[in-house]
Amino acid sequence: MNKTGIAGWFNIKDKGTGYFAFAFQRFSGLVIVIYLYMHLIFLSSLLDGRTTYNSLVQNITYGPFDIFIVMDMLLALVIFYHGANGIRLALNEFGIGLKHHKLFFYAYESISMVLLVLFLYYAYLFLGGH
Amino acid sequence: MVKRRNEHGDEYYDNYNVPADKASTVLEALLYIKENIDQTLSFRYSCRMEICGSCGMEINGRPRMACSTQLASLHSDIIKISPLPHYNVIKDLVVDFDPFFDKYKKVKPYIIRDDDGNYSAEIPQTPEQFNEFKGYAQCIKCGLCMAACPVVGTDENYLGPAPLTALFRYNIDNRDQGIMYRIDIANSDDGTSRCHFAGECTEACPKDVRPSFAIQKLRVQGLKYELKNIMGGKK
Repeated sequence: MNKTGIAGWFNIKDKGTGYFAFAFQRFSGLVIVIYLYMHLIFLSSLLDGRTTYNSLVQNITYGPFDIFIVMDMLLALVIFYHGANGIRLALNEFGIGLKHHKLFFYAYESISMVLLVLFLYYAYLFLGGH
Repeated sequence: MVKRRNEHGDEYYDNYNVPADKASTVLEALLYIKENIDQTLSFRYSCRMEICGSCGMEINGRPRMACSTQLASLHSDIIKISPLPHYNVIKDLVVDFDPFFDKYKKVKPYIIRDDDGNYSAEIPQTPEQFNEFKGYAQCIKCGLCMAACPVVGTDENYLGPAPLTALFRYNIDNRDQGIMYRIDIANSDDGTSRCHFAGECTEACPKDVRPSFAIQKLRVQGLKYELKNIMGGKK
């Protein structure tokens, strides 16, 4: 059969809810894997000593380069999305809620977004916000 | 707009103006083009009533049957028609279904009996038993689900929605005794594990067969079967 390639996964135009859920699940999964590797590479700088690590942390989290807070927020978004949709998929794959899978998707994602807002609020407080 | 392909394999769109009333279908529009404007246009069709499964094509971005898609339902004066994705194009809107039918054959889509058909008495089937698989038996092998499935588009070995639905349909038929021959196919790397439940196969199916539901149920059936084996049950 004729292959369309990975780019085809993200062609969500004219597609249904399930397809959007699928495409964003793939995208969020890729983001999480890339983050995991970046995180491990970053942590491995500790092998060169505390000074190297601290200097890296200072360089990327302060001043004009402090975009990592925004990236952390986006990371939290994809993780919450991926987790909630993952639970829905696991249930559906066991035959639970098949007929109402779209309703399950909206319900789970709504709950996960509420939890995300709560998480971001407490993260903000943790960082010293008032 | 109809996607076509010249003798060098280059793809291009031809534009045609077609008269239409509120009941006109895409197939009727194509037949009008063929009869009045361009006799070189190629497309496949037969029954004109969504039974033969021949006239599947991508219409305004979605796999649909040309015979049952009314122009008015598309809510657009411009209609874009392309051959079904994930299939090799033979000419214009005609695609090669052989790989699809090869996959279909792999799942043994027929009743298998221990007695090789040499039974002396009638095999009873209650209406409840019939209704269990009736919905899945409505498949007309139009291949729209294979065109809609994003996994079929990236993994040519994946069996796909229609074959897996057929596999499930025969597994749950009370007359069948061939589950042990099919379940390993369903549980293989090219089977149910490749489905990520995008659900587009169910959206595209013109006969409301719901292949994505069948695949999830087949997953559970496969799991139960394997667990039974592990616990020492008979294969």
